[in-house]
Amino acid sequence: MNDLLLEIAKNPMARDLVKTLGLPLPIPEPLRRMKAPAPPRVLDDKVVAYAGIEGAVTRAVARTLALGGAFPRLIGLTPSEPFQALGEAYGRPAIQLPDVPPEKPQRLDGIVVDATHFARPEDLGVLHDVFNPWLAALGRCGRVVVLGRPVDADMSPAHAAVQGALDGFIRSIAKEVGAKGATATLIRVQSGAEGRLEGALRFALSARSAYTTGQILTVTNAVADAVDPGPETRPLEGKVALITGAARGIGESTARILAAEGAKVVLLDRPEDDGPTSRLARELSGGMILEDITAPGAADRIAEALDTEYGGVDIVVHNAGITRDKTLARMKRSYWDQAVAVNLTAVLDITERLLGGTLHDGGRIIGLSSIAGIAGNRGQTNYSASKAGIVRWVSQLAPRVAARGITVNAVAPGFIETRLTAAMPMAVREVARRLNCLGQGGQPEDIGQAVLFFALPESHGVTGQTLRVCGGSLVGA
Amino acid sequence: MAQKRPTTSRRRAVIVGGARTPFVKAFGPFMQLDTIALGVRAVRGLLERTGISRSELDAIVWGGVILPPGSPNVAREIALDLGLPASVEGMTVTRACASGLQAITCAAAAIERGDADVIIAGGSDSTSNAQLVLPTKATHALAPLAFGKAGPAEVLQVLSQLMPITEVLPQRPRIAERSTGQVMGEAAEEMAGRNGIAREAQDAFAVASHHRAAAAIASGRFDSEVIPVETRSGLVATDQMVRGDTSVEKLSKLRAVFKKGGTLTAGNSSPLTDGAAAVLVMNEEKARALGLTPLAALKSWSYVGVDPADQLLMGPALAVPKALERAGLQLSDMDFVDIHEAFAAQVLSVMKMMASEAFCRERLGRAAVGEVDPGRLNVHGGSVAIGHPFGATGARMVMTMANELALSHKRYAALGICAAGGLGAGAVLERVD
Repeated sequence: MNDLLLEIAKNPMARDLVKTLGLPLPIPEPLRRMKAPAPPRVLDDKVVAYAGIEGAVTRAVARTLALGGAFPRLIGLTPSEPFQALGEAYGRPAIQLPDVPPEKPQRLDGIVVDATHFARPEDLGVLHDVFNPWLAALGRCGRVVVLGRPVDADMSPAHAAVQGALDGFIRSIAKEVGAKGATATLIRVQSGAEGRLEGALRFALSARSAYTTGQILTVTNAVADAVDPGPETRPLEGKVALITGAARGIGESTARILAAEGAKVVLLDRPEDDGPTSRLARELSGGMILEDITAPGAADRIAEALDTEYGGVDIVVHNAGITRDKTLARMKRSYWDQAVAVNLTAVLDITERLLGGTLHDGGRIIGLSSIAGIAGNRGQTNYSASKAGIVRWVSQLAPRVAARGITVNAVAPGFIETRLTAAMPMAVREVARRLNCLGQGGQPEDIGQAVLFFALPESHGVTGQTLRVCGGSLVGA
Repeated sequence: MAQKRPTTSRRRAVIVGGARTPFVKAFGPFMQLDTIALGVRAVRGLLERTGISRSELDAIVWGGVILPPGSPNVAREIALDLGLPASVEGMTVTRACASGLQAITCAAAAIERGDADVIIAGGSDSTSNAQLVLPTKATHALAPLAFGKAGPAEVLQVLSQLMPITEVLPQRPRIAERSTGQVMGEAAEEMAGRNGIAREAQDAFAVASHHRAAAAIASGRFDSEVIPVETRSGLVATDQMVRGDTSVEKLSKLRAVFKKGGTLTAGNSSPLTDGAAAVLVMNEEKARALGLTPLAALKSWSYVGVDPADQLLMGPALAVPKALERAGLQLSDMDFVDIHEAFAAQVLSVMKMMASEAFCRERLGRAAVGEVDPGRLNVHGGSVAIGHPFGATGARMVMTMANELALSHKRYAALGICAAGGLGAGAVLERVD
């Protein structure tokens, strides 16, 4: 179902009309999304300001910007190594911004602030010093990224308080910049893991994170480093990716994106969906497995098919999911069982079986959680329970497979424009769409891009996490 | 398995001589000469100057960028127009502005492989004779008329599809990248900005190019290379765009042409040019047997590609170091460095990259290639002053450098050419004793 407000936003004449008439309509900003396949430099010609002190993360930021194709601007930092060297090598010299923005400052596509060294409450003032003058220069669909440290057991309570403060800051600023279509992300990078920051930073700054805002990613050295960074373009070349529930919607979109980035996609769906699944498999030059994932022995048959036909698998996307909605008092036991069987039991069984040699070292496991699993939803006790289970499952499984270079993460979609949401009653749908920082629903490709982020070799610093792709939903912490 | 050729390793291709037409402004005195006619003038001049018997020729390999749609194999047309023996076969190659060098490296490779002994290689382009093309929409709409007999109904149907008229008018050719739509001058302007190449430095470089080319013409250095060409408006004997009297002050008055407030002007960019250049490439043994004196040999060459959406014309900064590496030589071993001057800004960007420790470490995985001594760079000027018929430039550079090595008794010259599509070419010439 079309989003009327978004259609108005995309039409300059309609937009002007709404403005002239002074209609109190919350017109959302059309989001700029990443093409698939992505260009070789995902930040090409973006102007990104960086505020920080000379330190461990500076090199990672400089590299991300230079190799990503961005033009660095520095706030309160003189362009020294490594900005100078990389600027020279890639013809993207870092330019120092004035302390006070000029009357009409150059538009910024992103602002990155290094807060990793924040230890005392007064350090937080830097956030005000940077964003208060410069936020006005942030363009449409811009990016705010704050870099912090994970709170670990060794950290003093005061230090933890200061780092913890960044959570609230990022969620609030996400709400302030959302009307511009801009997003805000906090990346907590473990001391010593700065070398793995690039993947997460590139995601947060690029159009890949168009519908991901107010979220926190943590980068660590937990996973054994078994991967090379992959080629510039088509980074999934040579990888086999299994996507369950791939016939349509989010699964289809994810399959398209992974295939465009070079992966051999193996599409799994129910035998009844033979038609759309095989059409898509043909189009993407992929493979196909027709299987009801809740059927007895399904996990074995899937593993055998992957072993014999594709020599194993590198990326597993547990996308298949169902809703069986009823308030609990009216819910039949069969509804409960079906939702849990597809959304949780099958995910656990298939993963366990694939970890027995089918999934290669350096592999990627990606689950699909849901905003409903985080915030809860009336009439979805069964669904919410199964999707919340995924959140804990990935965090618990991750350390157990880290030594093999495997990461385990989940994506939790918010309101995504699919067949499912199109079937909602109009009023409910309209409210659901607007209840986020960006004032609009997401597209299936937004989920696909988040899945791609977890699937990329460069994301080896990120594991055990659930990333919400919800436009900064106002419900659920 | 392929048969091993015992002769391959011993054969060496050498440059024996060269000839070219004067380079003139497009839509100027050579307007009536298309790329084939220009090629004919250069090849005929080369045959006369070197005195090689036509029966010794094996082939012509020719480079061109704007190829005539009806006869794209310019090499063969030149051979036929010159009345060369029918056995002199022809091939036309295209690698944008590196086409002339490509023709020569193709010839050298064929000779060293044992496929041929005597090849004329070179290139030409006539921007004056670039054909206007119909938009694809018009071509498709006209299709029913192209085959069989069209009735009135078909004609009416075709007419109805040719609206609006602006969409089917012939399009003016532009030197724009097909993939990005960016005009080459815009790309060079972007490179100037990104590499910090100031307007003053570009103008100074352009002035040096003009002064050096003017000195070469005045001293008669080019007389052995340039063949006078008879035209309707009289004899054209020298390059026509070289301005010995230009100065930084004069050039500084020109306005930027590719960007408002930009740094690239008509004065520090290469002009659209008509012209042709040819060199004689031979198996060394054969040359000596025929009593010809080899001038130089290609010790190595390299072609590279970069993303056109990034720095379109930076190719030589990667290709020249690669060619040096293949030759087992350093930049400091080079007695001459000849870089095609598409734009002064592009040459200066490439020089800066090769001298940058950071660039070379990051992009080439090696220490800085080094600074080029301005006294050794483009010693007789370059494309900014002399002009740039796309397909001919590579052959002009090989010819001038081969002669320069022989005349000066120096040893090595490095060549670098940038080309559309993000291509780059590099080569190392070595004098042959």
